[in-house]
Amino acid sequence: MDRHKILRIVILLIFIILLSRAAYLQVVRGNYYYELSEGNRISVRPINAPRGRIYDRRGEIIVSNRLAYNLYLMQNEIPPEKTTEEILTELSNLSSLTKSRLLSNFHSAEVNTAAEPILLARHLSKEDVVIIAENKDILSGLVVKESSLRDYIYPEQLVHTTGYIGEINEEELISFTEAGYNYRGGDFVGKTGLEKEYEFYLKGKRGAEQVEVNSRGEKIKTIGIKKPEPGNDLILNIDFSLQSAVEKLVEKKYQKLRNLAEENEERAMPTGISALVMDIDSGGIISSVSLPDYNLNLFARGISSSDYHKLINNPLKPLINRNTMTAVPPGSIFKLVTGTAAMEELGVRANTSFYDSNGTFYIPGWSRPFRNWNPIGEGKMDFVKAIARSNNIVFYELGYELYKEYGGEMLTEYAEKYGLGSKTGIDLPAEKKGLVPDEEWKQKHLNQSWYPGDSVNLSIGQGSLLTTPVQIVSLISAIAADGLAYKPQIVKKIKNSEGEVIKSFKPQINIDLRDEIDSRVFEALKQGMYDVVNKNYGTASRHFNDFPLSVAGKTGTAQTGGANHAWFGGFAPYEDPQIAVVVFIENGGSSAYSVPIAREIMELYFGFKNRNNLQDKLYYYQRKIINQND
Amino acid sequence: MNWNKKFLRYLNFNVPLAVVLLIIIGFISISSAVEINHMNNGALRFLQKQAVSVVLGLLVIFILQAFDYRIFKEYAAVIYAVMLVMLTATIFFGRGVSGGAHWISIGAFNLQTSELSKIMLILVLAAVIDNNSDDMGYLKGMFLPSIIAFIPFALVILQNDLGTALVLFFIYLVMLFAGGGNFKYMAAVFGGGFLLVVLVITAHVTLKTPLPFLKEYQLNRLIVFINPNIDPHGSGYNIIQSKIALGSGRIFGKGLFAGTQNQLNFLPEKHTDFIFSVIGEEFGFIGSAIVILLFLYLLWQFLNIAENARDRYGYLIVVGVMAMFLFHILENIGMTMGIMPITGIPLPFISYGGTFMLTSLTAVAIVINVNLRKNKLMF
Repeated sequence: MDRHKILRIVILLIFIILLSRAAYLQVVRGNYYYELSEGNRISVRPINAPRGRIYDRRGEIIVSNRLAYNLYLMQNEIPPEKTTEEILTELSNLSSLTKSRLLSNFHSAEVNTAAEPILLARHLSKEDVVIIAENKDILSGLVVKESSLRDYIYPEQLVHTTGYIGEINEEELISFTEAGYNYRGGDFVGKTGLEKEYEFYLKGKRGAEQVEVNSRGEKIKTIGIKKPEPGNDLILNIDFSLQSAVEKLVEKKYQKLRNLAEENEERAMPTGISALVMDIDSGGIISSVSLPDYNLNLFARGISSSDYHKLINNPLKPLINRNTMTAVPPGSIFKLVTGTAAMEELGVRANTSFYDSNGTFYIPGWSRPFRNWNPIGEGKMDFVKAIARSNNIVFYELGYELYKEYGGEMLTEYAEKYGLGSKTGIDLPAEKKGLVPDEEWKQKHLNQSWYPGDSVNLSIGQGSLLTTPVQIVSLISAIAADGLAYKPQIVKKIKNSEGEVIKSFKPQINIDLRDEIDSRVFEALKQGMYDVVNKNYGTASRHFNDFPLSVAGKTGTAQTGGANHAWFGGFAPYEDPQIAVVVFIENGGSSAYSVPIAREIMELYFGFKNRNNLQDKLYYYQRKIINQND
Repeated sequence: MNWNKKFLRYLNFNVPLAVVLLIIIGFISISSAVEINHMNNGALRFLQKQAVSVVLGLLVIFILQAFDYRIFKEYAAVIYAVMLVMLTATIFFGRGVSGGAHWISIGAFNLQTSELSKIMLILVLAAVIDNNSDDMGYLKGMFLPSIIAFIPFALVILQNDLGTALVLFFIYLVMLFAGGGNFKYMAAVFGGGFLLVVLVITAHVTLKTPLPFLKEYQLNRLIVFINPNIDPHGSGYNIIQSKIALGSGRIFGKGLFAGTQNQLNFLPEKHTDFIFSVIGEEFGFIGSAIVILLFLYLLWQFLNIAENARDRYGYLIVVGVMAMFLFHILENIGMTMGIMPITGIPLPFISYGGTFMLTSLTAVAIVINVNLRKNKLMF
């Protein structure tokens, strides 16, 4: 047959099919569909997915969920003779929900079709759930659905690391949607901490139930169900029993220091404190404390604006995680960096000898004196002892020599080798990168050139240098492991709701100086740090008397213009380093206060002190009662 | 100009008549779909934008008559090159909605390049098939047209635009058939290919074997029409709502602006992909039948024009255009009725959308061009 004829026949057939189908739907089945469109409706009701839970490294649950109820409006289930406003008025008369709030939630909702649910109220009280159920016939179009509410087992512990959640804002909604995730207005999302960092893992996927409802909004039958997918669980490197003990300890010490400062005006008033314990072999963060903190339960249902303003306006900044978001001068801890540069570039050795005649250093040709913390000259000492004594004179000299030989850039280069001036990449949002000042920075920000005095100042960790506690723990760990440090990591692995591991975080090398820097350098630095703690002339020896393990560390007291910041960074055991510990007291006055805290943290870690000490417990509960009465 | 008058004697007036009627029906349905009766801010803008495309398209129809369509055959290689560059550029620089990169911005215009490629492919394929007409009964003659069609098809697939890719494939299939392609080979290759696709999808659904080329959501959209309940929240919902809208229009319809499915926003994409559901709900079976028969009438005229074309090239162009419209109509209307998968391609002359309106009117312009030059003795 002629192909053109065949084409005509095919086209005719196709159009006959379309026409018959139209006739079938509209003429034969017309009344059925008409009924469906006028009387009965098909609704898609949401099934919420619970957020992923958070466990510590031993599987102890830290953050969970509890059952809550949300109220939704299905516009298409409202019978024609009623208006949305009438139903909301009725609801506000019967329940504790206010009409203005309901109306504003209704009007701010963005839905594309009348079959999409509008979130009217979250976390209903039990009374309201009962009232809505009992008045179903009046309150058509209203559907109560199960949802979940964050359940913090320890609402005042591991606060900054966990982070808080809050209602999604416009910006987040747009960027998450563009990234291909399914979010809706009214959803709760992570705002800080792990909740934010791992939002897309924790979130889960909403399900849906498609139901046929009659003209009174009553469900006739379920047509289809899409099951929700619960969020994934985080397994942390944190050891919660240690975390909890360290947190109690740090809190006690912090309160004590503040009380003492209140009684004695001469003493520095600490404004914050933080402590970090890191596993040297993997970078896993075993404990992370930052005070002052807040109660996570404030955020679980959405924080009230008055509570939020209280937190925001608190001068002590309780929302800040001081381990990652506070960058201040590290003081003498930086001498470890200066020491590295001096040994590598100036040929200094462990036994190179130095002389401090009168506790003052002058740059040749300049009149400004640079002083040691000890006003009396300390005489002759070798390089290792200079670290143990934290002698400024020796390090001024080394800083100046480095400047003379290589210019201001050499010391900053070594600081950067140890990761200072850039983020460690710890799995927490809003980490600060600190600052390693150099010629370019100074020219740009202060409009001045780099003077020899800048190098001398930098050599003892002063001036514009800024570091975070997590950078310091990384530095200490790099020295302890002879030049190798792993990225600090809080989450160990992620499991789906069926318990299968979907992601496992392998240790990731952050700093690797093993090829670049002579192992003798680390030997000498570690020897100096050992002497800091163990030789009777060491700056921290007083606090580590008769400690059953050999510890090494470095003190730091950083001048700020106000009260000094107190630092201590150390590792243990000396022979086979396992953990690095950093304690930082903001405006703490002197490292004499940070060292004993570090000692007690190590006692807790190595089990020399019972973590659930009765006295500690008593103190903890007393404080809780006091707080509640405030 | 007097050559215009001479031309007009040959014009098949049925074509512009059907097109104008369909466009008018389109404007009425879009008005209802964007709820212009609700004093909806911005609803008028839809109509204005659509009107601009129509005016541009009419300009194209007039301007194009000044050239002889055979000029496209001379420049077939250039057209093909431009098409490939355009499609490739869209993959790299294109912006798109919901995962696909279909748009390329030229000044203030967002051009959907895959739309234009439909016409370009018709012009190029017609030239290639015409040149190989002696060999079309053999594999070697069918080889070049197949390669020519495959490259743009693959590029459009890379844009994630499955709907347009299917249109290109259908155009190629019909033109190959009309151009004298060996029917046994075609039946073996395409019938076998179709069976293979069905087999792979069935294996994926039942045995969870991996799926080549398609993303899961695309597959869902393709097969959900068989059982809408497998994805009640997504595409299945759309099909159910569309069938309710159409069916509830019964014989006479609920009246303009009175369709509840439409006005209460149950229908998704109602001014673009699901415009036919609006027509069915508000004008009933009478309305649907008028639209369907108007389309049949138009395509029938195309076939008449093709038969009387001066040369084989003209014949093939008109058949290609006919195939493009046929697939759009079958797929779009079939989708709203739940007998075709959801691919999101618009209904010619009726759906809202500038680029496709322009493409459709350009296609009509080319058909008219062939029509006007049917009798070679007159030139």
